Amino acid sequence: MRRFKKLEFIAGILLTGTMVLLVMFSGLLFPDGGEAMDLSARLARPGVDWAHILGTDPIGRDVLARVIVGGRISLLVGVFSVTGAMVVGTIMGLVAGYYGKFWDTILMRWADVQLALPFILVAMTFTAILGADLWNLIVFMAISQWVQYARVVRGSVLTLRDREFVQSARSFGVRDWNILLHHLLPNVFGPVLILVTLNVANNILLESSLTFLGLGIDPIIPSWGGMLADGRSYMQTAWWISVFPGLAIMATVLGLNLLGDWLRDFLDPTAKV
Amino acid sequence: MKFRNRLLAACAATAFIWPMAARAAGTLTLAQVQDPASYDPIDTFLLAWGQIGTSIFDGLVQRGADMQLKPALATSWEMLDNNMRIRFKLRDGVTFQNGEKFDADAVKFTFDRLLGPDGAKGPQQSNYTAISAVNVIDPLMVDIVLKRPDPVMLTKLAGYGAVIVPPKYLSRVGHAEFAIHPIGTGSFKVVDYQPKVSITLDAYPAYWGGAPKLDHVIFRFIAEPDTEVAELQAGRIDIAINVPISLTGTIAKDPKLFVASVPGPTVTVLRFNTANGVTKDERVRKAMIMGVDRTAIIKSILQGNGTEVASFQGSLSFGYDPAQKPLPFDPAKARALLKEAGIAAGTPVQIDFRGNDATFREVAQATAGYLSAIGLKAGVKPYEQNLFTNDIIPNGKTAEMFQFGWGGWTFDYDNTAYLMYHSGEHWNPYDKDPALDKMLEDQRSITDRDTREKALQAIAHYVADHTLELPLYNINTIYGVNKRVKNLTPPADNRFLLNDVTVE
Amino acid sequence: MLGFLIRRVLQAAFVVLVVTLLVAWAVRLSGDPAVMLTQGAGSVTAKDLANIRTGLGLDRPFSAQYLGFLGGMLTGDMGRSFIGGTSVGLLIRHALPLTILLAVVSLALSIAASIPLGIHAAVKRGGTADQVIRILSLVGLSFPNFWLGLMLVLIFGINLGWLPPSGAGEVSGIVMPAATLAIILTATNVRLVRSTMLDTLSQQYIMVARSKGLKQRVVLYRHALRNCAIPLVTYIGLQFGGLIGGVVVVERVFNWPGMGSLAFDAVSSRDYPVLQAVVTVLAALIVTVNLAVDVAYGLLDPRIRSE
Repeated sequence: MRRFKKLEFIAGILLTGTMVLLVMFSGLLFPDGGEAMDLSARLARPGVDWAHILGTDPIGRDVLARVIVGGRISLLVGVFSVTGAMVVGTIMGLVAGYYGKFWDTILMRWADVQLALPFILVAMTFTAILGADLWNLIVFMAISQWVQYARVVRGSVLTLRDREFVQSARSFGVRDWNILLHHLLPNVFGPVLILVTLNVANNILLESSLTFLGLGIDPIIPSWGGMLADGRSYMQTAWWISVFPGLAIMATVLGLNLLGDWLRDFLDPTAKV
Repeated sequence: MKFRNRLLAACAATAFIWPMAARAAGTLTLAQVQDPASYDPIDTFLLAWGQIGTSIFDGLVQRGADMQLKPALATSWEMLDNNMRIRFKLRDGVTFQNGEKFDADAVKFTFDRLLGPDGAKGPQQSNYTAISAVNVIDPLMVDIVLKRPDPVMLTKLAGYGAVIVPPKYLSRVGHAEFAIHPIGTGSFKVVDYQPKVSITLDAYPAYWGGAPKLDHVIFRFIAEPDTEVAELQAGRIDIAINVPISLTGTIAKDPKLFVASVPGPTVTVLRFNTANGVTKDERVRKAMIMGVDRTAIIKSILQGNGTEVASFQGSLSFGYDPAQKPLPFDPAKARALLKEAGIAAGTPVQIDFRGNDATFREVAQATAGYLSAIGLKAGVKPYEQNLFTNDIIPNGKTAEMFQFGWGGWTFDYDNTAYLMYHSGEHWNPYDKDPALDKMLEDQRSITDRDTREKALQAIAHYVADHTLELPLYNINTIYGVNKRVKNLTPPADNRFLLNDVTVE
Repeated sequence: MLGFLIRRVLQAAFVVLVVTLLVAWAVRLSGDPAVMLTQGAGSVTAKDLANIRTGLGLDRPFSAQYLGFLGGMLTGDMGRSFIGGTSVGLLIRHALPLTILLAVVSLALSIAASIPLGIHAAVKRGGTADQVIRILSLVGLSFPNFWLGLMLVLIFGINLGWLPPSGAGEVSGIVMPAATLAIILTATNVRLVRSTMLDTLSQQYIMVARSKGLKQRVVLYRHALRNCAIPLVTYIGLQFGGLIGGVVVVERVFNWPGMGSLAFDAVSSRDYPVLQAVVTVLAALIVTVNLAVDVAYGLLDPRIRSE
């Protein structure tokens, strides 16, 4: 059991670490940023030419280079949007759950309005008004997802608020922010962390869905989601264009979630069976 | 429980819309991207309407698969009063699909409606403003009187706003009902319409051109090309209309299917922002044209499904000059021109394009690749279609280059050139050239065919000499077709003539 | 309880009202439908465009347009589409049942799969079954829904030919779109069930129940599941909005003529009446589901109801 956990942790570190390192040093490995094209070598099969070991795409660009460089945009979108959503959402949820009444009503009604608007439609409308742009995408995602954190945190705080340890802390005169920070925050960490690990992955995929709907960013700059979306029409004739970025996404998601699980166990001593 | 039953009922109710109809004998199923939503001819300019409307309605004249005009509801016509009046002799014994008789009154009713307040609410009216009146001479003869000569009027009478509608039926049911239950004189009659799902037509046996060989024609609306091709592969549709190049390989390798690729009306160019930035300099524009290997793009990315163009028109267009040649691909000369213009290496340029155009998405990236190879730093930016065509282009908010695909079904260069290059036109945000304006205005009043053709060719040369655009290609219209479909002439203009088509 | 209900219903109505205002405002920033309608037209003059705008009622001030739309929604007359003048009510009557069907079937499939799998994984924590379930759930999370959908089409629609690749024409047409949505939902739900179950199982009363010798099944499905129902129900409520969002993409892949397809087309063509109505109806639907979740909350945990 212990050994298995350790294995998971090592696998998570290895997968995530490798992906992050590759992405960080992609500029050194592929100075052209995966943008060099050669129309005469378009749709080359993988494993035939050493120069294009994973094949080429319809523009004749190297799939290996694009998969590795493509992690930059994908991780950027995933990490930044989730960080924004998590920070805002957790604070809102703590405040709403702990203080209740007025704040709870305001925040939760605001959250309800957002929850009632399907994200894709909002994104489409705002892309129509503002144009597709990397930072617009990140901000859209953060704005639309903070609600998830707020609701989950609030839900947990509501059940925790009246528990003995919070009540006793309060009766000892511990200040509100202290209770929030030291007693409630650690206890909502588990569900939030799960959401984070899921949403980083989810947002990498969301970028892909937006490209599928024709709302993505500059397709010259490689991104996993964009490659997956652009490769879909070649699925039956050139599978490698979308399968390799798909595998890159899988490796990253798997790594992140393994780490997330391990972290959860580490932070939550009661869960040790 | 009740709720679940209702849902099941909803499911069952929709289950009989097209019960695997594609396999049925005598039934042809086509799929297209869009439901035109209204089948009233005054309502729309959509290609999606033309694809279906051609089977339901007829004009006074008709354009065959060879793109030549031929008699339809009019058996003959003559130009009178120095081309200011066209006299049509109408076909006798034609009936609308509801049995209503076709005659001169129907023609008059159609045009009065098109040019009156009803027509003003729709986009078709603007195309027929040259008509001042329609006069009934006798039940089988009408005169169309023009305010000003319109060299493409006869072509325009072959479709869209000018197809003849039944006066009695329309007056009785009104516009809203006619829009979803249209009646015309065409070879197929609408029998069922499910908004956004499908429209089913049955053969109209009393069709004046002879009863169609098919019994039923079903048009299904499928937004996503990948899904459309999947349905084609599964044998549930017979013809997939407008397949993107990226899926032609999939169709070609399926033994049951074939790719039909015919020269189409649409020409694609990259227009320059000639008012601001580096592309204000003619030398830079010339360098950018010479730096892009258009032949290679057509050969590789389009897979040969297109032809190179020298101006904003294809070879079928009136005004096309076969002698006109595009600037050659010459990267060395391009670099020299950029140097001469004082453009530093790594100067950024951007290509704006419509994000949902899968084929152009690849073309834009390849073009940017070529531009980067001559020392520019080229990027591409996809826009949401409506934003692009309604705001970015007309309001002059584009980057250095922007995608523009154009091709009126009338195949006349005037239809493109005037709108693209005349000062103050909606689609012309940047250019102001009095000399060009005059050329464009003058050709409109020339009625002699040859003189006008020369004038149009001169415009095409003038535009090329001033490098207002990077001419790319005339892209083919591509259909994916099941081999069981026989006698199909894939139309260049998307307007299917299905009268002689059969299925095995 | 009644006061709680009334308050929540009023709040929900307020939320829908805010949504209608937001959507009516935002859609009018996004472009001119008259220009869209005349795309491909010969020469369109400013006068032609003005004519079309007047015909569509867009020359009126925003307040008049908004109140007209709101009044229409209340009286059940949702107006006519800008594209072709089809009745919006008719379009929605066709589309809404199909979208609800798709959402309910995929949610049901997902719950049916994730509760037993999640509980099993929690009980056999660290064992092979747990590992397999977790790895599979991760794999399910690693594809964008459109890609997963296209893969299913490729396998079951084209290669095997078992299911229709698209459309709501046959009853079997729902299998692939619902499965696509359900696979992704299940991947998250399994993890949620597992982790809340682990929390619950480590709590004293469960240990007590177990030590009293209650049957494993009874402990799990009666005591533990009830306790982890709160986060699960919250999350399913949350998912419903996301599910409707996912439906937009999946409906497009499978050409499912539901609300998502309708909304997508309406955004693309700036069909204000259709978009306003679709978003309002969807918002009302989501708000109702969330309301139901809150009420369920109150039933499951009386402490919340009391405040």
